[in-house]
Amino acid sequence: MSEIDSLKAQLQDLQTKALALFADASDSKVLQELRVAYLGKKGELTSVLKGVGKLPPEDRPVIGQFVNATKTALAEALDKAEALLSVKEKELRIEAERIDVTLSGRTATQGVLHPVQQGFDEMTAIFSHMGFDIAEGPEVEDEFHNFDALNIPAEHPARASHDTFFFHAEGDEEAKLLRTHTSPVQIRAMQACVDAGGEPPLAVVAAGRVYRCDYDVTHSPMFHQVEVFKVDKDVSLANLKGVLQHFLSAYFEKDVPIRLRPHYFPFTEPSAEVDIGCVFCNHKGCRICKGSGWIEVLGSGMIHPNVLKAVGIDSTVYSGFAFGLGVERLVMLKHGIPDLRLFFENDVRFLRRMGSST
Amino acid sequence: MKIPLSWLKEHTPLTKSVAEVADDLVRLGHEVEGIETPRAGVKGVRVGQIVEMVSHPDADKLKLLKIDLGDVEHLGIVCGASNMVEGDKVPVATVGTCLPNGLKIKKGKIRGEVSFGMCCSEAELGLAEDADGLLILPKDAPVGEEVGEYLELEEAVLDLDITPNRGDCMSMRGIARDLAADYALPLIEPGDEVVTTDDSVAAPTVAVTASEDCPLYTACRIEHVKVTDSPDWLQARLIAAGLRPINGVVDVINYTMLDLGQPMHAFDADTLDGEIEVRLAKAGEQFIALDGKEVALHVSDLVIADSKKVIALAGIMGSQATGVTERTSNIILESAAFKPAKISTTRRTQALVSDSSMRFERGVDPAMIAVAMDQVAQMVEGLFGGKVSVTTSVGDADSLIKDKQIQVSMKRIESRLGVAVPESADAVLERMGFAIERHDDRLNFSVPSHRHDVSIVEDISEEYARVIGFDNIPAVMPSLLTITPRKLYKAVDAAVAGGFIQVINYAFISVDEQRLFVADDGEDLVLFNPISEAMSVMRRSMFPSLLNTAKYNMNRQQTGVSLVEQGRVYAGHMREHTETNMLAWLMTGDVQQDSWFEKTRKADFFDIKGAVELWLSGRGLTARFMADDNVQGLQAGQTANIFVGKSVAGVIGKVDGDVAKQFDLSDDVFVASINLDVLHAGKKAKFQPLPEFPSIERDLVFLFDKSTTSDAILQSVRKACGQQLVDAQIFDWYDGKGVPEGKVSLGIRFVLQDVKRTLTQEDSDKAMQAVIDVMSQKFQAELRG
Repeated sequence: MSEIDSLKAQLQDLQTKALALFADASDSKVLQELRVAYLGKKGELTSVLKGVGKLPPEDRPVIGQFVNATKTALAEALDKAEALLSVKEKELRIEAERIDVTLSGRTATQGVLHPVQQGFDEMTAIFSHMGFDIAEGPEVEDEFHNFDALNIPAEHPARASHDTFFFHAEGDEEAKLLRTHTSPVQIRAMQACVDAGGEPPLAVVAAGRVYRCDYDVTHSPMFHQVEVFKVDKDVSLANLKGVLQHFLSAYFEKDVPIRLRPHYFPFTEPSAEVDIGCVFCNHKGCRICKGSGWIEVLGSGMIHPNVLKAVGIDSTVYSGFAFGLGVERLVMLKHGIPDLRLFFENDVRFLRRMGSST
Repeated sequence: MKIPLSWLKEHTPLTKSVAEVADDLVRLGHEVEGIETPRAGVKGVRVGQIVEMVSHPDADKLKLLKIDLGDVEHLGIVCGASNMVEGDKVPVATVGTCLPNGLKIKKGKIRGEVSFGMCCSEAELGLAEDADGLLILPKDAPVGEEVGEYLELEEAVLDLDITPNRGDCMSMRGIARDLAADYALPLIEPGDEVVTTDDSVAAPTVAVTASEDCPLYTACRIEHVKVTDSPDWLQARLIAAGLRPINGVVDVINYTMLDLGQPMHAFDADTLDGEIEVRLAKAGEQFIALDGKEVALHVSDLVIADSKKVIALAGIMGSQATGVTERTSNIILESAAFKPAKISTTRRTQALVSDSSMRFERGVDPAMIAVAMDQVAQMVEGLFGGKVSVTTSVGDADSLIKDKQIQVSMKRIESRLGVAVPESADAVLERMGFAIERHDDRLNFSVPSHRHDVSIVEDISEEYARVIGFDNIPAVMPSLLTITPRKLYKAVDAAVAGGFIQVINYAFISVDEQRLFVADDGEDLVLFNPISEAMSVMRRSMFPSLLNTAKYNMNRQQTGVSLVEQGRVYAGHMREHTETNMLAWLMTGDVQQDSWFEKTRKADFFDIKGAVELWLSGRGLTARFMADDNVQGLQAGQTANIFVGKSVAGVIGKVDGDVAKQFDLSDDVFVASINLDVLHAGKKAKFQPLPEFPSIERDLVFLFDKSTTSDAILQSVRKACGQQLVDAQIFDWYDGKGVPEGKVSLGIRFVLQDVKRTLTQEDSDKAMQAVIDVMSQKFQAELRG
């Protein structure tokens, strides 16, 4: 066998062996090593080339071409094998990184607002948007602001029905009490306006805790009210109806029918109890509205002239409407909460549930 | 107030159904609390005659009855009663009947004998609270008839809640008047037959010294009365209207009160000494009321007295000794007007309520004084015999009954209602007893004596509103106002965003709970009439109620709670008190549920501190926490005051273990509270250009004495580094292996930056050396490896 044939055979062998190795390579690292082993400076191909020097000069170009062809073939085979492997490796990596996407996410524990607070915020926001100013007042009140100024003198039968918490025996001079409604804020807001030398218009919303010494399934000794009033020239019962209609529809997030029933409150004249179409049966009549289709939600009326007189506002010039609503009652109706006591038991399971609903 | 429909019909010829009447009453301002239908309640119960009665073969106490209901076959009924004999007529509930007590009658076997129904007692028919044996019906009761119809049980009874301004509606006549006016039906006037008086009976002598409180007092004497039970129809009426029959005379008085609205009283004349006097009570006077209650009278109480003793608390209750009984034969009837405010005050101070006081304090119609007196005298005479004297009358009846005149402007009424008032409304009001004259805008309004509640233009506007109907008043939005600009902080929202659950607790707690956190310094606001001991004092600390809420929840399978409450604390005296707005946190137990990515951990001081710091930073506030070992209820060494600026804004700490145990809390409990009223507005966020040059981060680790506070260390660090220090934080705290006893290894991380240039290694080296020097000088801290 001539020298050149022997070299050719060597190269042929080398190529066959290399291609087999490339095809078997299991990862790109092995492939990289093979690239160095065959095509590197000290690689096999180079060592074969060392034999070229022994060839006669006329054979050299021939073998040179042969070597180049082998080199190209090896390089191409390597590139191809690498590309294949990288796809395969990516597939493997993806498979290895597969997770259970249904496992819960990492979250911080979520807090919740108390449902009464939510109701408070929603109601105050509606009135605030309507143009009512926000006011506050003390919870420990005196008889003047809680009763007398609201046209409920000591001997008035309505006074007994208020189930008042006192700090001194009833009838004592200077007796303080826990306010039985948010109406004293009405008095304080009007007094503050008059004392500052101002005069109506006044439009105020006041929200807060109120107290009655009555404790059973449907009564809590502490609950929350929102008081709303407006005093101006020519304020009418029709305006009261307008504000009530707007508020109740906004709060219940639908057009609820409302009904005013004549009633009696010492601090308003005329007075009206306000019903809404039952939100459970859509006004059709159910167990909760006792078949009437109506549910009582709040008390309202045109401010009694004696109330305006008590704070020094001229009732022949100004008139006003006022209403007070029980926050818990409206929240119960809106969310279908069956029992008032739930609000003050503060069971976190209840609070979480009510917190996630809004 | 219970209004039997049949009784109402005696005052006006109603034709509408009870449901319609109820709706119309609501529209007129009378709340209907319920409608009872006693007759419908006993439908299926019929008059039956016992034609045969034998003992049950297997039970001594049971009887086998054969009952004739007028049907072809007699019914076999097993009965356990023993008060009947053969031939008696009894109410028989037939199979399928549902009795008022909910019992449904079915065919049944009792000890082997088949029973096809049940014989009933008064109680089972809902006619009495309890009964002894069967109700034996009169001999002439028609066999087979529905018992409800035979007994003339009410078809319907309306239960009304009469508002306190409408004393005139606390009677059949009053309610009938409103309905008659609305329906344009006639109101039937009470009979005008005058009782025959007998001059041989001396009229009572009456002296009224308290004429201010008693503008009219009338009395008459009836002799030789035989007091028996009142007739069945009258008793049935009283029961239907919710009153208990007592004796003939008292029943007639109660009947008339319900009928006409005038409360009256009857004295046993033979128990009285001398003439009747209407006066104020004398100091030290005593009186035993009809209900047996001993009353110490106040000098402001209006009383009826004879020459020796008080015989009645005017308008409220008579005395026990002078009341009418079955043995009474001579009576004195009283019909009078008492001032509402007087009755109300005495009723309240003496805590005595009666059907009479309910009416007097709401105002009764003085026009009924004479009418009622006549009606009672006639009925007593007719039912129980006797001779009636002429009536003694002290006071000016005419001026009392006179109409009130009010002149008003129609425009003012219309402006108040927001609707034009049609003239047709006048007719309805006139039927209610008002007299109206319109002269353009001027309105002459004449108010009848029964309408105490109408005296000013606003009252008249209400009458028109009722008559027009509130439904017919339009809904008109008023003009909107601009509101005072104000930034509203919703304190609790930020706390909730920090992972806390908001709770709302009662503002009153027990005195014992108060003492856990607040010493007794006389500043408690104690309720005079608390619901219970547990709710008797206004809270001065937010912590007891939060602890109770934690207890409630930890007892209900919670492994940890993070709670926040916004509310007030209260302190002071009668004359001056404070209400302070607070925000308070509580953490106990697990901070986090076990999860696949994190193990559960118990809350500690730094959890709650982090919550408070986060909340403060949200308001643009920073605080310093200064250890305080003397906070009541909190554990020394894990408690601090929270300073915002120079003032103490709150407290934070671990609840004393013994205190926590009182609330059944076994895990450590951490609480914090912030006084919202002392916080200043906080810094407004202000723009600063972003840094142009890179910052350098360096760490140093020192050994400190454990008593050295990080607050003191970081303050010194800030001073040592000067302006180039952007941030310094403790990033490592270690007192384990390799750290000497009493020491702690603290790692401090510094971020240095200059606004004008890039800092060099030398710059930071210099700063670090300054820190090392200060730490060594000030705290004898040695640098670690």
